[in-house]
Amino acid sequence: MASTACFVIVSRNDCPIYESEVGTAPKKDEAAHLHQFILHASLDIVQDVVWTTNAMYLKLVDKFNDLLVSVYVTADTHTRLMLLHDSRNEDGIKNFFQEVHELYIKMLLNPLYVPGSRITSPFFDTRVRTLARKYL
Amino acid sequence: METDLRVEGGSMIRVAVLAVGEMPAAQLRDYVSMLVQHTRISLASVNPYYTEHQKSPFALQPWESGSLLLKFLVGGAAKSPWEDFQAQRKILGVIGLCHCPLSPDLGSAYEQFLSMCRAYPSAQVTRCFAFHPTQAQMRQDDEKKKEFLVMFPSTDRQNLEFHMQTLMRDFAASLLMAFESWVLHLKPAGLTTPLDSQTSLNSDEVNKKRKLGRVQKTIGDYCLLACSPSDANAHYATAIELARLTADLLWHAGAIEGHVCALVLEPSGMKDELLEQEVQFLYMEAIQLYRRATALSFELESTLKLARFLCSRKELARDVVDLVVGAVEGSKTLMDANDRLVVNVEAAGIFGALGYERKAAFYARQVALLYKQQNSHWAAVSSLQVMSVCAHYYRCEMKSSNSLVDGQDKQGGEWSTLQMDVLMDMLAAAVRAGDAMAAWSAAAQLLRHHYPLITPHSQLGLANALSMAAHRLPSGTRSSYAVLPFVRLHSYPPMPAEREIVKRTTDKEWWMGPASSGPFIYTPFIAKGDSNEKLPVIWVVGEPVEVLVELANPCAFEVFVESISLSVEHGHFDAFTVSVTLPPSAGQLLSLSGMPLSVGTLMIRGCIVKCFGMITEHLFEDVVEGKMVKGTVLVDPFKSWHRVHHAALSNKVEVVQPLPLLVARVVGGEGAAVLYEGEIREVQISLSNAGVVPVVEAHLALTGKQQQNVVSIGHSILEDALPLLPGATIVVPVVLKAGSPTPEPDLRVNTVKPSNDVASPMLVIHYAGPLSQEGEEVSPGRRVALPLQLHVQRGLCLVQARLLSMEVAANISSAIVEPICSKDAAAENGESLVKMDPYRGSWGLRLLELELWNTTDVLFEITVSRKDGSESEKLAEDGECLYPRTRIERDYSACVLIQLERFKLAGLDKASLARASVRKDALSKQYAMSKDVADREAKAELNSAIEELSSRICVKWHSGRNSAGVLPIKDALREALQASALKILLPDPLTFGFRLVKTSATQNSTCEDTSPESYPNPHRVGLSKVEAEEDSAVTKSKGGGGIAVRELALIEMLVRNNTSEAMKMTLSVTCRDVAGTSCLGAIGSKPTVLWAGTLDGMEVEVGAVGEVVHRFALCFLVPGQYTLLGAAVIQSQTSHDSLCYNGPPFAVLVAGAS
Repeated sequence: MASTACFVIVSRNDCPIYESEVGTAPKKDEAAHLHQFILHASLDIVQDVVWTTNAMYLKLVDKFNDLLVSVYVTADTHTRLMLLHDSRNEDGIKNFFQEVHELYIKMLLNPLYVPGSRITSPFFDTRVRTLARKYL
Repeated sequence: METDLRVEGGSMIRVAVLAVGEMPAAQLRDYVSMLVQHTRISLASVNPYYTEHQKSPFALQPWESGSLLLKFLVGGAAKSPWEDFQAQRKILGVIGLCHCPLSPDLGSAYEQFLSMCRAYPSAQVTRCFAFHPTQAQMRQDDEKKKEFLVMFPSTDRQNLEFHMQTLMRDFAASLLMAFESWVLHLKPAGLTTPLDSQTSLNSDEVNKKRKLGRVQKTIGDYCLLACSPSDANAHYATAIELARLTADLLWHAGAIEGHVCALVLEPSGMKDELLEQEVQFLYMEAIQLYRRATALSFELESTLKLARFLCSRKELARDVVDLVVGAVEGSKTLMDANDRLVVNVEAAGIFGALGYERKAAFYARQVALLYKQQNSHWAAVSSLQVMSVCAHYYRCEMKSSNSLVDGQDKQGGEWSTLQMDVLMDMLAAAVRAGDAMAAWSAAAQLLRHHYPLITPHSQLGLANALSMAAHRLPSGTRSSYAVLPFVRLHSYPPMPAEREIVKRTTDKEWWMGPASSGPFIYTPFIAKGDSNEKLPVIWVVGEPVEVLVELANPCAFEVFVESISLSVEHGHFDAFTVSVTLPPSAGQLLSLSGMPLSVGTLMIRGCIVKCFGMITEHLFEDVVEGKMVKGTVLVDPFKSWHRVHHAALSNKVEVVQPLPLLVARVVGGEGAAVLYEGEIREVQISLSNAGVVPVVEAHLALTGKQQQNVVSIGHSILEDALPLLPGATIVVPVVLKAGSPTPEPDLRVNTVKPSNDVASPMLVIHYAGPLSQEGEEVSPGRRVALPLQLHVQRGLCLVQARLLSMEVAANISSAIVEPICSKDAAAENGESLVKMDPYRGSWGLRLLELELWNTTDVLFEITVSRKDGSESEKLAEDGECLYPRTRIERDYSACVLIQLERFKLAGLDKASLARASVRKDALSKQYAMSKDVADREAKAELNSAIEELSSRICVKWHSGRNSAGVLPIKDALREALQASALKILLPDPLTFGFRLVKTSATQNSTCEDTSPESYPNPHRVGLSKVEAEEDSAVTKSKGGGGIAVRELALIEMLVRNNTSEAMKMTLSVTCRDVAGTSCLGAIGSKPTVLWAGTLDGMEVEVGAVGEVVHRFALCFLVPGQYTLLGAAVIQSQTSHDSLCYNGPPFAVLVAGAS
């Protein structure tokens, strides 16, 4: 079954630093950036939800029609890992977030990476896609 | 569905506002603005206009605190099929607005109003307000009866508003009375809804109860409208009961909604939380009922109403989000596109109220997309409007004018993908709506802020869109969105050298610059040059100025900038425009000029650019703030350029009063003087004041290299001419002396301007106008620099200089004259050209030979003179006259002889004398003084003498009519002298001397005829001359040196060893006749000289600084002049080589027998 999934990492100043369509569904033209629009809109809710829980994984925070938004917030810099998906596979999403978070921390350890700047590493991209295939 | 859904919506009285007759939009807006001030009319104020005709059904009306709420629908609204279900959906009143000046026939206008009212049968009260009636219209009004026409007198706005207030209260009172009568005469028959088609299936009793319930609900609605919530509650309670019994789901839900509305409005002391819970509970019930009644739009409406009600509480945000998201999801199944739109609009509104800006923006975008789907012009316009609203939330607007938003921008992120998408949508909507301006703005923002993410093809498309949009706009339209190119301030180029401005202080010598502040002469911080950056930029009123800006076009198409000029804040500035074409992905440094027109501080804000058919202002600060952050990708449109320190560049410029303007120029010649080496020339420099202010202070100074070339400047002429009035000109003479030749300019490199030649000295003139009045800042001074360009050509060149010693054979005599005596004699008879004593040879006579070569193509005349010395001025003058001019033709060389004795080389003389005395001492006292010390001393003396000599000799030259100079040959001279003097002055190891031994002569002095200077020298210049004079000297001589012919002359040869070691040598004597042939040695031939004693192979040993005397006798057979020569062959003990020394020639004059 084709699934839709859009993964975005949003930096603390609300700029996307990494974005990728990790779903298997063929990309439609008219909804070119719909996924990102939804994720952008749900930032408002995320900033409220963050204060209600201690967990980094915020579970489902928002939805638009049949598209769901799950968010994972890192402790350090309020970097938000946001996933737009249409499948309700909570465990898989949680694992995915944790693994990507680890990757992101490795990224931060790179002295040449300025925190908050765009992640351009192809290695990171490949790994995220692999994880998406594995868990989502 | 309807917009602006609120729980309290049930209490709004809808009033249609219609324009009657001709009504300009501005007027309508004006009148409506007056009208909408009266949306809330308190019952207390309505009271005076209210008359209770019969018992009011609104028994519990709160006359003290309540108020009627009016909702004005400008332009009216279509009739809703649900009017019976909810009374607030009815249009209950109509107000017509008539602008009398444009509707002369008031009667027909009123007719029009009445016909318009017919479209609103539910309207209970109608009024037609006529504004600004003419006198005729007022009279016309008197004739006919027009019930609802109200004329406003033509007064000012305040009065109008007052009248309006009164009339609106009357209008509200009329409405209230109408509601009362309507409620009292309500008939239950007509209350139906579109969902009631199947009601006939039910039994009559149920129907009856239902009707009753519906009537109760309707009465409740009217109670709400009349602001009597308590009455309404009572009726709603009955209605709910009846509806539940009869399963009238829709009306049940409606009654609950009305009940909630009444609860909310009722000023009963229910606590907020309780009320909220109650409202939430009741609404959930209503929503359930609507769902069961399959009234989807009502379900959504009530959901949204509830959400709107709850969104005032932040804690309930989660519930609100759920409600709204549910409603939006539910709206997917709505049939009517407009309803879907309304749901989205409401959702956006609710999220906006909740503070969720991004959510609101998301739904606003959904609205815009829904509009876009409707294929009509108006939908496109609406879509564009909504898009531009949400563009603000996506931070698409980059205008720096609203700095508040900018401040947030720094915090808020920029999601460039979304921004681009929104802008693209805006562009599409604007194109469809035909809004060229909006299309231009959207395309402009896309290109300017998102060019790195746009493919070249799309960039070209955007450029076309820009041009197309501009084509549809009138030319010269201004836009607030800058596009391309990116402009940033590069620098303020310094004023051209002739207009340079210098800061002037109150100090007397302000041109000297500030005194060093620290204890150090050299401060590295000053030398670093950062003081340059802090210099304020000063412009002068009325003088053109220049600013360098960098343009960058990072896009993949060529940008043609039709015009670009500086944009200036505060102050008048005449900016000159230029046009420029920027190739793809390229930058350019552009010089923009202008002219300040008023004194004060100018702010160079940016550039006014006309590009893509639109005039925009490009502010420097937009770009200067470092690199532009686009979705955290660092993008610098100027990346191809070197970094410039912008922090130091302020865009504030001081404009000062007019300053004087001196124009300096070299009179005659085109700026460059061609001089021969050593030439002295006076150059005229003309200074004229081209400004409008007199020059009051001026100071001339020299800077740059080769300042030694300038001999004198006419300072006093300039100072005398001050103040130099505008238009005045003075000429200042400057005397130049050419130094060493300048290297030939490389003609292949022709780019360097001659004025930039740093090698030439600069004449710098600091000047300033009059000091301003007390208290004002000192007006700056100016500096003009005039390069005194010298091109020095090689004139005469010194090929070589040599020191010659004259070698004239000394006469043999029995006695020898002491050197001092000879010197005295020379001084006594100073007329002759060369002084010499025939018995001493050429002692003390030295000549300096200068060989000069004329490399030029002109003729030179040389005069040798001695520079003015304090001691012997007279001799110098003698020198001038004694040495005639020497002409040197082109490409010829000539030797100039300078007799050194004339120059009174005391040093040299002394040196030689000292040496002589040393030698004497050494002879007498035997090593009394070490020879080394003497030598060293002598050498030092010699050097100083040469130094003095070379600095004294002055070779002046003339060429043509007006070029004259002095050859700079001092160094060459010194070198030459040192080289040859050493050769001459160093003593030989052996000294030879001859003397006659006469029986009468009792004197037994040693032959001390020679000073080292007279030892052999290969050059025999001037020998003949000396010999010629010898004859006369001989005849005069009374020294008794004559040898008679055929007489045996006894001759002693003295050989002295000058070295400090003993030497073995073989001596020999030769005698030559005038022809130079040997007179002695020829065996077998007929001898002319006979001799006695040994003349050859005499082996002697001479001790250190010792002397030997060898005697022999000669008999000359033929009278004439003979020459005696001594020679010695020294046998070296170590090596078996032998060194041969020849003594100087001695002349022997053999007189005839007579």
